[in-house]
Amino acid sequence: MKRFVGMWLVIGAVLVGLVGLFAAFYALAALGARGAVALGFPGFFGSAIVNAVTLMAVTLMTVAALLTVAERKWSAAMQDRIGANRILVLGKFPLGGVPYLLADALKMLTKESIYPAARSKFLFELAPVLAFSPTFALFAVVPVGPEVRALGQTVGMWVANPDAGLLWIFALAGLSVYGTTLAGWASNSRVGMLGAVRASAQMISYEVSLGLSLVGVMIAYRTVNLQAMAIAQGVEVLGPVPALGLLLQPLGFLVFFTSSFAETKRAPFDLPEGESEIVGYFLEYSGMKFGLLFLAEFVEVVILAAVTTAVFLGGWHPVLFEGWLKAHLDPLAFGAVCAASFLAKVILLTWLQLVIRWLLPRFRYDQIQGLCWKLLLPGALVNVFVTAAAVLVDPSLQVLAWIGVVEIVAIFGITMAVSKPKAAHGGHDHGDAHGHAAHAAGH
Amino acid sequence: MPYQIDNRPADTRESLYFPEIFRAIGLVVKTFWRNAFFSRDPNTDILERDRSSNRVTTLQYPEEKAPYPAGYRGLHRLVPRPDGSPRCVACYMCATACPAQCIYIEAAEVEGDPIEKYPKQFVIDELRCVVCGFCVEACPKDAIRMDTGEHPAPTYAREGQIYDLKRLLRGPPVSYEKDPWLVRPSRLTDAALKADRAAARPYGTQGTDEYTQTPGFSVRELAAEAKARGEAK
Amino acid sequence: MAEETKPAAAAPPKPAPPPGPPPPKNPGMVTFTIDGREAVVKPGTNIIEAAASVGVSIPYYCWHKRLSIAANCRMCLVEMSNAPGGKLMPACQMTAAEGVAVKTDSPKVKDQQRATLEFLLVNHPVDCPICDQSGECKLQDYYFQYDTTASRLDVPKVKLGKRVPLGKLVVLDQERCILCTRCVRFMSEVRKNPQLGVDARGNHSVITTAPGQPLDDRYSGNVVDLCPVGALTSTDFRFRGRVWFLSSARSICTGCARGCNVFLDYMRDGTYRYRPRENDQVNQEWMCDEGRLSYKPFNDGRVLESRVGKARASRAAAVAEAASRLRTHAGQGTLAWLASPAASLEDLLAAALVARDGLELAEVYVGGQGDGWQDDFLRRADQNPNRAGLAMVARAFGLAVKPASDLAAAVAEGKVKAVWAVGADLATPELAAKLARAEALVVQAVNECELAAAATVLLPASPAPESDGTFVNFEGRPQRFELAYWPRGESLPHWGLCAEVGRALGLSSRWSSARQVYEDLGRRVAGDLPGFQWSSLPSIDRRKGLVPLAAGTVDGRLPGHRERMPLDGNGNVEWSRLPNP
Repeated sequence: MKRFVGMWLVIGAVLVGLVGLFAAFYALAALGARGAVALGFPGFFGSAIVNAVTLMAVTLMTVAALLTVAERKWSAAMQDRIGANRILVLGKFPLGGVPYLLADALKMLTKESIYPAARSKFLFELAPVLAFSPTFALFAVVPVGPEVRALGQTVGMWVANPDAGLLWIFALAGLSVYGTTLAGWASNSRVGMLGAVRASAQMISYEVSLGLSLVGVMIAYRTVNLQAMAIAQGVEVLGPVPALGLLLQPLGFLVFFTSSFAETKRAPFDLPEGESEIVGYFLEYSGMKFGLLFLAEFVEVVILAAVTTAVFLGGWHPVLFEGWLKAHLDPLAFGAVCAASFLAKVILLTWLQLVIRWLLPRFRYDQIQGLCWKLLLPGALVNVFVTAAAVLVDPSLQVLAWIGVVEIVAIFGITMAVSKPKAAHGGHDHGDAHGHAAHAAGH
Repeated sequence: MPYQIDNRPADTRESLYFPEIFRAIGLVVKTFWRNAFFSRDPNTDILERDRSSNRVTTLQYPEEKAPYPAGYRGLHRLVPRPDGSPRCVACYMCATACPAQCIYIEAAEVEGDPIEKYPKQFVIDELRCVVCGFCVEACPKDAIRMDTGEHPAPTYAREGQIYDLKRLLRGPPVSYEKDPWLVRPSRLTDAALKADRAAARPYGTQGTDEYTQTPGFSVRELAAEAKARGEAK
Repeated sequence: MAEETKPAAAAPPKPAPPPGPPPPKNPGMVTFTIDGREAVVKPGTNIIEAAASVGVSIPYYCWHKRLSIAANCRMCLVEMSNAPGGKLMPACQMTAAEGVAVKTDSPKVKDQQRATLEFLLVNHPVDCPICDQSGECKLQDYYFQYDTTASRLDVPKVKLGKRVPLGKLVVLDQERCILCTRCVRFMSEVRKNPQLGVDARGNHSVITTAPGQPLDDRYSGNVVDLCPVGALTSTDFRFRGRVWFLSSARSICTGCARGCNVFLDYMRDGTYRYRPRENDQVNQEWMCDEGRLSYKPFNDGRVLESRVGKARASRAAAVAEAASRLRTHAGQGTLAWLASPAASLEDLLAAALVARDGLELAEVYVGGQGDGWQDDFLRRADQNPNRAGLAMVARAFGLAVKPASDLAAAVAEGKVKAVWAVGADLATPELAAKLARAEALVVQAVNECELAAAATVLLPASPAPESDGTFVNFEGRPQRFELAYWPRGESLPHWGLCAEVGRALGLSSRWSSARQVYEDLGRRVAGDLPGFQWSSLPSIDRRKGLVPLAAGTVDGRLPGHRERMPLDGNGNVEWSRLPNP
């Protein structure tokens, strides 16, 4: 019981910490905006620069780095293990394995970079950068919090808010394939090349269903701007229930989440790495260049969780008690709560990705392509047509919401409808064998 | 039987993948929350652990050590007599029984002892030893035991794995009522002899190796007994 | 007899005389049954030997075929149909009688054997772990064969002397003694020197010498072999090893010209002891104490490396050097061959061939150890085992035999400038000192000695256990001995060294075994050795494989094989000196 209380206390403390953090970020953004205004620039110039530092350099990188530790500790918890805990701070405190972060960073930075002799010199250096930077840049358009008035300035918790937000995401996500492909190709290793070929084939395939799955969302919210989408998700559609992407587009969510998972190239979609068969496209990389490729994966995980959150999980809307919070809190505090809830959802999704990672074994290559082309793509197409039809019939999205409810109930129902193992069938062979024995004995 | 493999083809629901994946997510989540937020039972005997709240089976090795089962064959030791000399009489029984031929003995004659023979050198090559325990079983004098509960310590050189008399002769002394140096006049003084007799374990009606094989009969226990005796004085 | 026949003829109605014993089934022999098996033996044979002839073994301790019968151990009691009152009779004392039925496995006999063993073991300390006899102890064997019951004794055992030194070579453990008196009888009957006796009564009876009188007979070691239990042990072999680790080779004692037949017990490449081997014509089954210890030079003080001058050289280089030095003197009358009568017949044959054909010599100087003591039992004054063989070889090759002192004189005069010594043993150090003045002194030596130290070229030779061979004893009796283990270090048997020297001198001597030497050259001495079959003992190169492996060996090593552990002064193993595995 004590543990239960402690568990909720930990979760609560994390949430409160996030709220405080984002309050500070908002304040910083506002300061930046004021500074920009003072210098004669538009206010969002300043807030964008500050946000680029606080969101991308601090929040994103910290979360991604912590994810390397979390990967170990969470995996351990899922597998009835303890996980990394041998680095003791002051000889006593394992601190949940967090010191491994520093140890890993130190190791990556100080290890020798080994260069294959027959590499393509320029591309070999370029590939990690190409793998990392587009992924990293994806985060620029993700709206982490609402627009808030603070310190006399209207500031948003995003770096940029282009009208073509989703298209930016498609474009940059498509670019990251260059990094992996070039990494494999430039290292002039047949095994690395195999990984690169696998990676490019897989990522290009899933790009299709990734794009198509979001078409439904675009139709429903009538925008490709992510901030607009987030705001649209706060509108109540079925009584008090807001028009979350998850509600309107459950099928789209499934397809998008799966496709994005495949884009991250992590288990069960880790064919490009495939440690047990080919080591992968980064086989010839070492030191911090490998570290960059490695980190790109984790950044990708966080960003895809963020995009999923923004598009399907209501973005920065806290969803619960939103009206009450908005009414009773200072705008800056409300913004901080919203941003914190966004980050909490992101963390939850990354955690979910980890769960799935330890749940499923690696797909076979034909299974991967089959899943994409035979299941996800048709699903996404059906979703597009159904959504379009529903929106055409009822622009208030109510029909779409009901269709979503039906889909959710159907998925839930199918999930729960576990076919019991047929005891009679299972025992049949056994009984038969006995029967034969008895038969023989009778003779 | 924990699992029964049902080798039928997947039905429609199962071939959809997703429903089963959802169910499995539930399973992993349950495990995760248990292990992440509820503390581990640190009982070193893993099978005895309370696994109702936390299912972690890890043993933090250097700090926690699994108890060895009774009769575990650890590193050899040569059992000393109460006066510190080895009980061993260099009869070569262990060397004869040893299937790995890892025991080397050099016998010599000793004056002033009712047992005329003693091992001038007794060497066990732990690298060659197959830890079968035949030497312990063969020993007619309860002079070699594998009750230390230790492994041979790792070494950087082969020489370190070769245990000679000096390294083997350790642990609490053992004596029995009818040991020759208690029955016969010996180099021990009267007082020491009396003390030895007092400390002697009763002579077993079973063979002496029965003692070494008795579950729970270990150096630690012997040491505790010796300590208790010391405190009693 | 004549008187008695008359009244019988006069009184026919007298009842018929009781039927006499039926005529013997096999005239001149005694026929009776043992456990239902019919045995035909000479009259006067005792039951133990008769039983052995039909494959029935009767246990015994005190009986020995070369000693008088004491019948005091009571182990050999058997059931005999002619025993008064069905008593059990000692098989050692009873002679076979016509028609008697002997039972050795009836319940009565088995009970008696078990009871006898229990009595014998009542006060036995059962200290087999520290007893040298264990492994060849009749108490152990018979306990497992006839008793195997636990001791019922719950009172203290009688305490007697555990370590009573009877003499220089013999130690007595009075507790282990079963008082069979074999040793007492040996001393009084065989040696006619009754130094041992039984003292005190009952439980406290012990074997002892007269007060203040040690067991100093020169054949005292035999009582150790005679003792069926571990009471008498040899100070020489005591605690040096366990008998089950030892292997035996049939060998000949090299102590004197008698050539006592022995078992040479060895482990790996070390000799551990001699035990006399039965040969009625030579040594019955005894040997003297001095001969018993004469194996020591096989182990200690060996020459194992070749030397040129004082510097170590490879054997090939040393042989080449030796040949070149000998060649310069060959045919000029300044070269002499010194042969040792301790070398085997094959060694001497090979050496004689090289000396005559390779070095053009016509005489042989005989070295060898000087005379020792002699008695009328076994020991001969001549301490060399093969002097007769040397004489035969010299005769066969037409070489004149001269004593080593002549050679010493010739060297001193400067007539002889080079000496080739096959065997380095000489009677006195003075002789060696004189020979050392030779310009070239090529020595094939088994042990370090004065001559070996003075050699200009020293070649390592192997002693008897490291080769097959033949010794001819003082009576002219050729006796084969067996290879026990391969030559140690760089050494080779003399014949092997002679083959190498001969090759270096341009001869075509290519023997690779003593057998080949004998097959090649033996016919030259065959006339002196009528009826001698070289193969009367199995030779090593007739066996399959390389090394005779005893049963139960592990990866080609002898049972009980152990690496030698180099020790420092404190008895601790010096690991740095161990060769890397």
